Amino acid sequence: MLESAAHVGLQASDGPLSLDKFGTESARIGREVADGYHRYHIDTEEVDDVNPLPHRFLVTVGKVGLAKLISKEALTYFRPWDPHFDVILSRPCTYGVFSGPLGGFIPRPKLCVGCLRCEVQHPEFVKVLPNPDLAKMGDSYTTHGHIAAIDEEAKKGMVPVRGQGYRGRFGGPGFDGMLTDMSEIVRPSRDGIHGRELIGTAVDIGSKPMHLSFDSDGKLSGSTPEMFTIQVPFIFDLPPGNLDSTRLAEVVESTSRGIDTLACLDAHTVARNRLDAPNVVPVLDNAEASRASEFPRARLIELRSTPGRPWGWDAGGFDLAREVSDAIIGIRIHFEEGWQERMIKAVESGAKVIHLLADLHGRGSDGTFVTELFKEAHMLLLEQGRRDTVTLLGGGGIVGADHVPKAIISGLDAVALDLPVLFALQGRSNGSLRQRAKVDGTLPRELDQEWAEQRLTNLCGSWRDQLLEILGAMGIREVRRLRGEFGRSMVVRHLEDEAFEGIAGYVGGGC
Amino acid sequence: MALLQDLMDAYQGKIVKPSDALLHKTTTLLQDGMNARAFGEFEKPKALGDARWTDELILSTWYMAETGEVPDNLNFKTGESDGGFDRLDFQFLQEGDWLEHSEAIDTKLPLNRRGDGKNEIEIDIPWYGGGMSYGSVSVNVMMSRARNAKHWNTLMSTGEGGYPPELYEVKESVITQVATGYFGVEEETIQAAPIIEFKYAQGAKPGLGGHLLAAKAGEEVAKLRGSVPFVSLFSPFPFHSTYSVEDHSKHLDWIETVNPKALLSVKVSTPHDVDMVAVGSYYAGAHIIHLDGGYGGTGAAPEIAKKNIAMPIELAIPKVHKFLQKEGVRDKVTLIASGGVRTADDIAKAIALGADGCVLGTTDLVGMGCTRCSNCEGGPSGRGCPWGLTTTDIELQEWVQQDWGARRLDNLYAALQWRLRDILRKLGLSNVRELRGRTDLLSYIPKEAGE
Repeated sequence: MLESAAHVGLQASDGPLSLDKFGTESARIGREVADGYHRYHIDTEEVDDVNPLPHRFLVTVGKVGLAKLISKEALTYFRPWDPHFDVILSRPCTYGVFSGPLGGFIPRPKLCVGCLRCEVQHPEFVKVLPNPDLAKMGDSYTTHGHIAAIDEEAKKGMVPVRGQGYRGRFGGPGFDGMLTDMSEIVRPSRDGIHGRELIGTAVDIGSKPMHLSFDSDGKLSGSTPEMFTIQVPFIFDLPPGNLDSTRLAEVVESTSRGIDTLACLDAHTVARNRLDAPNVVPVLDNAEASRASEFPRARLIELRSTPGRPWGWDAGGFDLAREVSDAIIGIRIHFEEGWQERMIKAVESGAKVIHLLADLHGRGSDGTFVTELFKEAHMLLLEQGRRDTVTLLGGGGIVGADHVPKAIISGLDAVALDLPVLFALQGRSNGSLRQRAKVDGTLPRELDQEWAEQRLTNLCGSWRDQLLEILGAMGIREVRRLRGEFGRSMVVRHLEDEAFEGIAGYVGGGC
Repeated sequence: MALLQDLMDAYQGKIVKPSDALLHKTTTLLQDGMNARAFGEFEKPKALGDARWTDELILSTWYMAETGEVPDNLNFKTGESDGGFDRLDFQFLQEGDWLEHSEAIDTKLPLNRRGDGKNEIEIDIPWYGGGMSYGSVSVNVMMSRARNAKHWNTLMSTGEGGYPPELYEVKESVITQVATGYFGVEEETIQAAPIIEFKYAQGAKPGLGGHLLAAKAGEEVAKLRGSVPFVSLFSPFPFHSTYSVEDHSKHLDWIETVNPKALLSVKVSTPHDVDMVAVGSYYAGAHIIHLDGGYGGTGAAPEIAKKNIAMPIELAIPKVHKFLQKEGVRDKVTLIASGGVRTADDIAKAIALGADGCVLGTTDLVGMGCTRCSNCEGGPSGRGCPWGLTTTDIELQEWVQQDWGARRLDNLYAALQWRLRDILRKLGLSNVRELRGRTDLLSYIPKEAGE
């Protein structure tokens, strides 16, 4: 056998491999490897609504006015030899609002897109109004616009594309105050619709050693990577408020398995429903840390502070969980007073995953927005030379596809999704959506498992594709490189200071 | 039987080229309706407008397109976006110091500042029409804009979709765009144009290229683009022959070889290093640096791109203007701004921030009836704009007739120029070129407490 063939493990099926067979055989194996390569992709498929959002618009037609118009046009245009049906029956809508069996007498507002052609063409008896029922959805942060976008993304699994330009406010608070950068000509990669090269969205969960050590035999010694990889930089977080249920747990578990990400679920729910799996992250109270042993298949287990216990770092619970489980033990830390100290202590104690939590408006207890908080956490670890030994997950206020790259730019490795799950499944909410514990949501009565999985899968597919658009515009080849890349973002407030400095009345600082 | 078939076709809304009677009825109703709205004969449609283009801004644009004058009961100056142009105002002189409103107030803009022997083009107003490709809009819309551009001694860009033969009759007013898909880029179309525009990126979708959805790539569109009908057409990003300023320079050299007299315009979006890009383009040979801001219009773009990638034009203009000054080349290049420039006030503010002039796109469309419903890409019907603007649907495109479209734009431009002169005279300037970079003539409207 050829030595080179032995090196690459080639074995001809019919005896020793000769030189002339080598090329053919290596090509065959190369093809097999190539054919077996699976480029990561989320399979989306449009699904029907079970609890559709209120229509965007209400359409009212004055019946008398319409009748008069038809009569007038019939008299004007109808001739037995040339009846002009095309004129008499023409409708001022290309979307079918007036194309039902009774035409404009019973309009179909669910088809209205708000072009207003009918109202301009027939101002005397047609009115199109924004639907107040839609405007009432959500709250001041998670607006009906966010909910409608999530609903569309979960329905179609596509990147929402529209004509015309941006319609909203200039800059804005929170994530709206951050812009992502792009590269005009120097582009190493492009994915998405043009799909020539891969842009990776995989992220590592766990810890990488800061350096490798080798013994005298050249073998690895010392610490080795303690991590695993998921394919998208977002995970499903604990369902907020009253949404925790077996039905929902089963949906997020199976969806996270399908797209190779993680689902944080209450440990009791996991145990009760036998959902222990590599893609499930059981969340335990510190006081129950010993129960970590009950989840042998979990790759990550998270500990949270025990309700009613004093706020602080509980090393005992962490050590106990590590002792009884082989999983990576992560710590959930709310952005409340002293979070920095708690995070550092956790990391010093060996925590490899920190899961940071703001309220659902993306604010810490002192009102600071998550972009600043994530950045502070990232920088704290960076200054200590520990950033790569820890994975930062974070959640709170992530309700739009653009929030994912912006949170990662701010310093996270991956974001945790909470409310988007509710709205992707066409659930409804009552009241404020700010405090996690107080979220009052309702899922559709008939939550078909297959339907729900596809909706969540579609949402993830759409958000991943939108992430690819952002990364592609920057010319960044993998999302891991986006972490903490503040230089690839622009802060509107800073840009305004630079642009408007010296203009009378401009005082800066977003005022 | 034929009568019954006609009845069924009409009932089912069969799509055919409209009969003369239908064309007359529909265009009359539409035009009368726009007129009535513009003059406030009915209450403002409740569903009209958004923060950038408010109901009053849309209706005032219709009014200007109807009358050639600015309205006195609608806000025709600003939107309600709470930032940028909408928070800038002018520091006018005391009324007694104002100049007379007259045609002597000069609004001309020279485009070639290099003194290199190429076309010496001077346009009568400091703006021209932005690129909208054939396919994204109809020939009727293109010709309405091109004829108006000729009338106003200004220009209009083809966008990237080829050069419909009708355009040759006004070729001296038509910029040929070369973009990454090279659709319609031929020796003839390069040689026909006074200016060639390289589109590196578009403000509404920076770094993402272009995409004409299959439904809009009909037979005529495909023919001009050298493609197959009803197949999606992508303009990739970026130019795959351009990975450096040196490559970019070669691009410009190529055009110079084909059309030695043409001015070269480089259209880019607004990343953080847009100032460096502008200077690089100048040294590569560009006569015009065209910045397209993040709030610009589009026939189709991912929603995530429209606001989140790159910066608004108001923030990019001063950055580039100052950097060109610092590099000592500001007076050798024309800086054009677009992407969210809606009104004469926006144009004047952009110039005061440091641009030489502007490009208008959406404003033209609103002037011809657009309500910004965002269904340009096809919408649920797949047919494109119901107003006949951003469509090549055989029926819908007829709702915009060239004479009518050109007349409306003519009126609109007259009103815009009137208002621009009004601003200049109140600032004590007799020439729009004196306004460039005069941020001392602007003021910022601070936010109220609690805003």
